[in-house]
Amino acid sequence: MTNNKRRFDPITLEILWKRLVSIVDESDASVIRTAFSSLLRDAHDYTCMFTDSRGQEMVQGTLCTPGMAGAMALGMKKIVTSIPMEDYRDGDVFIVNDPWLLAGHLNDVCVWSPIFFKEKPVAFTACIFHHTDIGGRTASDNRDVYAEGLYIPLTKLYDAGKLNRDLVNMIRWNVRTPKEFDGDIRSQVAANHVCSQKITEMMEDEGLDTLDDLADEIFYRTEKSMRSSIENIADGSYSHEGIVEGAGDKPDIPIKLTVTVDGSRIHVDFDGTSRQVDWGVNVVYNFTYAYVFMAIKSGFDPGVPINEGAIRPITMSAPEGSIVNCKYPAAVAARMVVGHFMTEMVFKALAQAAPDNIIAGSGGTPAQTNIFHGSFANGKPWHTMIIRGGGMGASSRFDGHHCAIFPANGANTPIEILESDTSMIIESRGLVQDSGGPGRQRGGIGRQMIIRLPDDGENSPGTMSIAVQAGRYIYPPAGIFGGRDGSLAQFLKNGKTADPSGLTFCDPGDQISFVSAGGGGYGDPFERDPEAVERDVQYGYVSIERAKEDYGVIIEPDTLTLDLTATLKFRENK
Amino acid sequence: MKQETYRLGCDIGGTFTDFVLVNNKTGEFHTNKCLTTPSDPSDAIEQGIRELTEILPGFVDNVEEIIHGTTLVINAIIERKGARTALITTKGFKDVLELGREKRYDAYDIFSEYPEPIIPRPDRFEVDERVTFDGRIFKDVDEQEVTALIERCKKDGMKSIAVCLINSYENPVNERKIKEIIEREAPDLPISSSFEVLPEIKEYERTCTTAVNAYVKPITYWYLNKLVNRLGTIGFGGKLFIMLSSGGITSVETAKNFPVRIIESGPTAAVIASQYYGKMFNIKDMFCFDMGGTTAKSCLIQDGHAGLVSTFEVGRVQRFQKGSGLPIQVPVVDLMEIGAGGGSIAKVNRMGLLQVGPESSGADPGPAAYCQGGDNPTVTDADLVLGYLDPDFFLGGTMKLDIELSKKTIQKKVADPLGTTMVEAAFGIHDLINETMAAAAKTHIAEKGGNPNLVTVTAFGGAGPVHTYGLAKKIGATTILVPPLAGVGSALGFFTAPVAFDMSRSHRKVLEDADFNEIETLFSTLEKEAAQILEGARSGDEIIFERTLLMRFVGQGAEIDLGIEGKDFQQFSTKDIRIMFDEEYKRLYGRTAAESPVEFVTFKVRASLPKKPFVISRLSTKKRDLQACIKGQRPAFSVIKKDYLPFTVYDRSKLFPDARFYGPAIIEERESTIVIGEDAAVRVDDFGFIWINIAQSGGPDQEGGPKND
Repeated sequence: MTNNKRRFDPITLEILWKRLVSIVDESDASVIRTAFSSLLRDAHDYTCMFTDSRGQEMVQGTLCTPGMAGAMALGMKKIVTSIPMEDYRDGDVFIVNDPWLLAGHLNDVCVWSPIFFKEKPVAFTACIFHHTDIGGRTASDNRDVYAEGLYIPLTKLYDAGKLNRDLVNMIRWNVRTPKEFDGDIRSQVAANHVCSQKITEMMEDEGLDTLDDLADEIFYRTEKSMRSSIENIADGSYSHEGIVEGAGDKPDIPIKLTVTVDGSRIHVDFDGTSRQVDWGVNVVYNFTYAYVFMAIKSGFDPGVPINEGAIRPITMSAPEGSIVNCKYPAAVAARMVVGHFMTEMVFKALAQAAPDNIIAGSGGTPAQTNIFHGSFANGKPWHTMIIRGGGMGASSRFDGHHCAIFPANGANTPIEILESDTSMIIESRGLVQDSGGPGRQRGGIGRQMIIRLPDDGENSPGTMSIAVQAGRYIYPPAGIFGGRDGSLAQFLKNGKTADPSGLTFCDPGDQISFVSAGGGGYGDPFERDPEAVERDVQYGYVSIERAKEDYGVIIEPDTLTLDLTATLKFRENK
Repeated sequence: MKQETYRLGCDIGGTFTDFVLVNNKTGEFHTNKCLTTPSDPSDAIEQGIRELTEILPGFVDNVEEIIHGTTLVINAIIERKGARTALITTKGFKDVLELGREKRYDAYDIFSEYPEPIIPRPDRFEVDERVTFDGRIFKDVDEQEVTALIERCKKDGMKSIAVCLINSYENPVNERKIKEIIEREAPDLPISSSFEVLPEIKEYERTCTTAVNAYVKPITYWYLNKLVNRLGTIGFGGKLFIMLSSGGITSVETAKNFPVRIIESGPTAAVIASQYYGKMFNIKDMFCFDMGGTTAKSCLIQDGHAGLVSTFEVGRVQRFQKGSGLPIQVPVVDLMEIGAGGGSIAKVNRMGLLQVGPESSGADPGPAAYCQGGDNPTVTDADLVLGYLDPDFFLGGTMKLDIELSKKTIQKKVADPLGTTMVEAAFGIHDLINETMAAAAKTHIAEKGGNPNLVTVTAFGGAGPVHTYGLAKKIGATTILVPPLAGVGSALGFFTAPVAFDMSRSHRKVLEDADFNEIETLFSTLEKEAAQILEGARSGDEIIFERTLLMRFVGQGAEIDLGIEGKDFQQFSTKDIRIMFDEEYKRLYGRTAAESPVEFVTFKVRASLPKKPFVISRLSTKKRDLQACIKGQRPAFSVIKKDYLPFTVYDRSKLFPDARFYGPAIIEERESTIVIGEDAAVRVDDFGFIWINIAQSGGPDQEGGPKND
């Protein structure tokens, strides 16, 4: 095989590579049109990809979610090779949500299939969807994975094209939203179908018998690009000790990491990091890796498509049983609460070595997630989930973007969709003044969302439960290089601080406020362009008082215009 | 005897304003091109028409219709040159416009930039009112509050007002009340209400669309008024129509009220022309391919119908990157636009791979061959080196190209870094841009449920006919159609566009529970409203209505379109509709779920007037001498042999009906050049359309294309 390995000239390679990317994007696009739950079609919480015959990731969807995508790059390799090649049948479809094999919690269900060409498996297509419900208790304070829902080990959904109806039926009886689950699984099968069909068409067109030679060439080029980016960072070991806050009365979680840059490779070691804990924020190895990878990729080598080659130069070690490499049966439902911090922690470790490649702390780290369960006045139950962003951290070049889900990705659910799917009424959703961390570049602005369960006498809806998977209630997103912290997040029920760790119950008339944090600033705020501060005041991002206090900028209250002379004088005397 | 009458199509583009004048009786065309005048586009129109009168003195008096497409609106948005606009919205939601959907469009880029909202934060105002999701009035509008707000808007110098309240798509009572107050307090301020602009769910998309409409309303108003006056002074007494993004044309009045509907006015015309040809030749799946200097636009046309989509983006911060622009939700022809054109720049990227586009050299400095100081190799340079273009016959010889400059820059910037020969590099550029377009084309076609192998590719634009053959081969299509005047085909498309207006209403109802009588009422109400809008443009013709159902599985978020035949909806049974749904769903996604319930979501009506007859004149049959059509021979690059072959060069203007020949061939016309490989056969039909058939395997097949009859 190695002797007659097919070579690809640079032009042909680029053409075939482009085609492969467009194939995955095509299956990605089919999901928006066929999926059932708003978490998928509005909030885009899913990822499509495919591997070569050895399970090595060749292409992931352009609009992927980095946590799922990174975890799949590691996990699919293991899963695919756990079955002898000769046992695969054309028409096989597998389903699995084992958190330790893939994306770290039960809601992320993977559906995958071998792609057959000339009667043998040449590649594997896979997609993970975040299903709104997977049964179990939805809070983040469960003590183990058993309480968190239905665990689906690697199982055949279709055996050589024949649907395993018993399995589907079993799942349906274990989730709160069987219709959505069913429809979304069908959408997963369809997405893989699109991918398989297009890949075999391409192999036919191009006279390829295997994708592996092409894969090797793609990996080689990508690896080279990633390595040359890493070479720009000065060699050395860079450590950071950080804390992820505990929710409610849970203790804080110390994270310790050392990033070692050695020529063209990076190794991240988590020795000294907290042991796993008895609530739902434990992270599996794959998911930790995904967000470590996200930091290196997004800061140093954006723009190049991701595949096996991109991950090769980046290795990671973490003590088994630690919170970043937890052991079964740890509770993992809210793993993003810790996992999303990995990107920020790597940025902090590398800040001195690469100040232009990192951003300050972000209010969307972790993604602010809420799961609501309630019933309409007629008793009919409803169930939905939303993701909220926060202000992004500033960088040496830009102010932080307002309200972004970073380092994960996704989107908000429109107010009008949320109101028509549930019995909630949304009273407001808007930016919060003075929430962005002051800095030469200002942190992005955080936002508030106020929800009420209407009290309508006899026509009132039933009690509603809210599960929170979020953070930044205790420690705000940090500023960097003299930039200050962004504001804190808040979770209030009827104006009083509520407990984000368990379930919060609301009766008709109750009001809930979710505030997400602002991003950290970058650089000394007294060096910020006074005109940028003037605009911030005019736009209501910054108050007149804070403009003076934080930025040393004097704004005329009547006209909201800059007093430059007074500002320069004030700044000089500070 | 009745005098000669004319119709004039006039398309304002980025660089040129194109004119096509057609004689209604003979079908004879006159064309003209003059430079666009961005500060006042009506200057170019008047000038272009005056130039045409030099050829046809006095024709203006006999022009019955002028059909006009313009980039005025889209430019005002991109350059942010609209009016200062206030947004009035529900208390608690003034930041809807700024928060958007909170998605990072490039997941792995922490330095992405985002578009600024079209109305800045200080100009967005809240009023204390509320409608619930099911249309109940939760809180009334306070007249005094609104009156005070309008006073403030006037004082602040607002020139336009957008009103978009939460849930107004379900019940517009509060929005209407605010509109009435504005009309009373500030009769001169143009108002855009979301229930009129876009009565559909999802507040961000509706607010953004309404805000953009308000933002460009004053400039559209000013421009169209001025244009009408100027046309009047030069003697035009006919009707002026404006091209809509949806492919219909509409009255000046409607365009002034809904300028957001004419954003894609220009690019749509080629699609409309293709639709016409699709019907004329009865082609099932046609792929319209319009490649210019900077971008390539394409569209799948099925059974003579282009798909309409309800959303698109303008003003992308990152060109061609989905999600980096402002979403506009109005019916627009489902065009796909990518950064691939004659001016696309080739380079070797960091990974040592060839990359072509999306950056373009534009008109200035342009490709290296233009000798205007451009030193980046472009697609046009590659096409020249490969022998596809004639350096002495570019734009009919009015512009000289320097092939040596092309060779030099390709050698230096592509061949040397890649370690290939200059010719290999040139072919790489040509081939890669084709691949880029083919990949996009395949995604687009597949998304519409078509099969790329079965489409007829129709070429438009300056670079379209040069690349169509390569593109067709890559997507596996075997038939190519190059219409007459392909280089200015878009202005020609205006004549084939119907006067039409689309109306829709959302009303969710599970199929099993739906009252078909109620649906019939809904449809006929929509038809009445649409008919009113067409009234001004009508002179006694009967209005044609087309009905479409948007349906989905209960629980899904996107619908499939089902065209409905027949007048009375009550003639259908639940079962009829279900069968139609399942068949269409299966066609699109492989399998359906017959046990899963489906629902109606939106009902659409398109009202249109019968198309004016449009005749393309037949070619003269006098000279039938193929040899006389041959200009000579030149070496050009064969995609198959991967080497130069002698290509026969034909003069398009001399070709006659049923002329037949084989590739390798090049057909030259003033505005473009058609390249045909050695595995293809060519046939010219009675109207001068060129049909190219690429052999699937073995020798070329000359029986493709429709028979002359």
